[in-house]
Amino acid sequence: MNIQDIVVVGGGIGGTMTANNLVAKLLPEIRAGKARVSLISNSPWHYYKPAFMYVAFGMFYKNELRRRLHTLLRPEVKLLLDEVEGFDFKDSRLRLASGKDHRYDYLVVSTGCIPSPERIPGLKEAGDHFYQHDPAMQLYHKLRTIEKGRIFIGVTFPQTPNVPHQCGIAPMETTLMLDDFLRKRGVRDQIEIVYTYPTVSQLLRNCLFLQRPVGEVLPTVFESKGIKHQRGFTLSRVDAEAKVAYSEEGESTEFAILMQTPPIRAVDAVLNSGISQAPNNEGWLPTDRESLQLEGFANVFVMGDTVDLPISKAGGSCHNQSPVICDNIAGLMRVGNTVAAYDGKVQAIAQMGLDAGMPLWYDYDSDVIPTPATKIGGLMRKAFNRGVYWSVARGVV
Amino acid sequence: MTTEIAKNTSFDALLRNNPQLNDPATVQGIDDLIGKLAPLLQGQRLHNLVDLLSAVSDVVDMADDAMIQKLMKGYENVVTGAFNISNLVNYAAAQAGAEDEPPTVWQSLRRLNRDADARRGVAMTLAMLSQLGRQAREGAAVLPDD
Repeated sequence: MNIQDIVVVGGGIGGTMTANNLVAKLLPEIRAGKARVSLISNSPWHYYKPAFMYVAFGMFYKNELRRRLHTLLRPEVKLLLDEVEGFDFKDSRLRLASGKDHRYDYLVVSTGCIPSPERIPGLKEAGDHFYQHDPAMQLYHKLRTIEKGRIFIGVTFPQTPNVPHQCGIAPMETTLMLDDFLRKRGVRDQIEIVYTYPTVSQLLRNCLFLQRPVGEVLPTVFESKGIKHQRGFTLSRVDAEAKVAYSEEGESTEFAILMQTPPIRAVDAVLNSGISQAPNNEGWLPTDRESLQLEGFANVFVMGDTVDLPISKAGGSCHNQSPVICDNIAGLMRVGNTVAAYDGKVQAIAQMGLDAGMPLWYDYDSDVIPTPATKIGGLMRKAFNRGVYWSVARGVV
Repeated sequence: MTTEIAKNTSFDALLRNNPQLNDPATVQGIDDLIGKLAPLLQGQRLHNLVDLLSAVSDVVDMADDAMIQKLMKGYENVVTGAFNISNLVNYAAAQAGAEDEPPTVWQSLRRLNRDADARRGVAMTLAMLSQLGRQAREGAAVLPDD
């Protein structure tokens, strides 16, 4: 009997929930021995990566934001702890670090992205970020001891047109959390917070956020908290010794802490696949905006951070892409064509300070409509962080 | 809206001046709503809903990070348990049901002897039974009066 091999690459939120969702969708075929689902991950741990920003404020410990990957998977998912070193999309094969080849009938690429501060001279040495655990912990030690000076916040967008940086709302969230954190420490009056945004942010120019409605309310929010804001600062290099940040627009500024959303890129195996047309060796895979198929390869689907779509590189995107991919793989297997279309929907609860939250959603056609941040919103976000997230990973929610 | 309210010095003035309140559709909607609310007000049944809202509001005010952490730990434990048990039962049922002829007791025992994970499962079940037994013994023990 010809068994259909469906392989998911990546043990992050997209890959984990999709492996589980595929089993739920294809259970009749799996029970009949006609299909099997495998997940290839290079780590036995699943990390709740968006929660790394809380580490920077001393709100989460490492063990609280990770689980053993196998405990999140349905028993029908075969977990392979290995690293994909090469994608051969033409022959439907994966080359693994263990030396094995892995054939597939359908493939889901959910390999995430990698923060790459080394792509801006001096940033790795002098900058800080919260997109990985160890840098977030390093930032925490600085934030809990700083007594005076300027905390300079910046954002780097990919050079691929209309592709956002990782988790679009995170710079704004962490700016507001920082303000609360320093007030609680009693040092806010001695510390200047400066939030900056680059000249080009996806399709917008000279804004404070990548979507206009939110960008328009931000000055009022920031001014009410004494946070300075500046448009048109695209970080070009950092003098690590003098602690000075330089912009492409010709400005320079001193800082005590440089909290910079760094450049990002796809993982090495995706970069080396030769399929990406993204500039600056960023590696985003050309993805059909509706079917989520890799362009030119009907049996390959791309999701999460690896796509070249104008959609937030965040778990809230994966949550809506995963059912579309599962439906389309089932459609190809059962009726010979894809059946579902992704509408670009992303939902989240933005953390607006240490305690307040703002539920939000948007899609290809609609921007986020900002609403007042509330304590109930904050409680919803905390409940998600502490429990609901793991249900999402298991495909329960 | 806030500016509109600030301009009005009395409730009467607010009713007169607020453009939305003077919209015929708003007036019609309020009229309908009063029709629905009147029996609830007269029977003092609406009071319970207001009390409930007040209690919910109190819970929101009292909720803090520690409370959310404890509640969500319980949530995760319950969901994880249900996820694991339902998966295991369904998976095992599918495996057992797929065999044309169920194994004999001796075949099952031989398989148990060869499969370390199955033996570990038996050990786990025995450990659970042991804890159940301990709880039963302690629960049934007669305690001396204070």
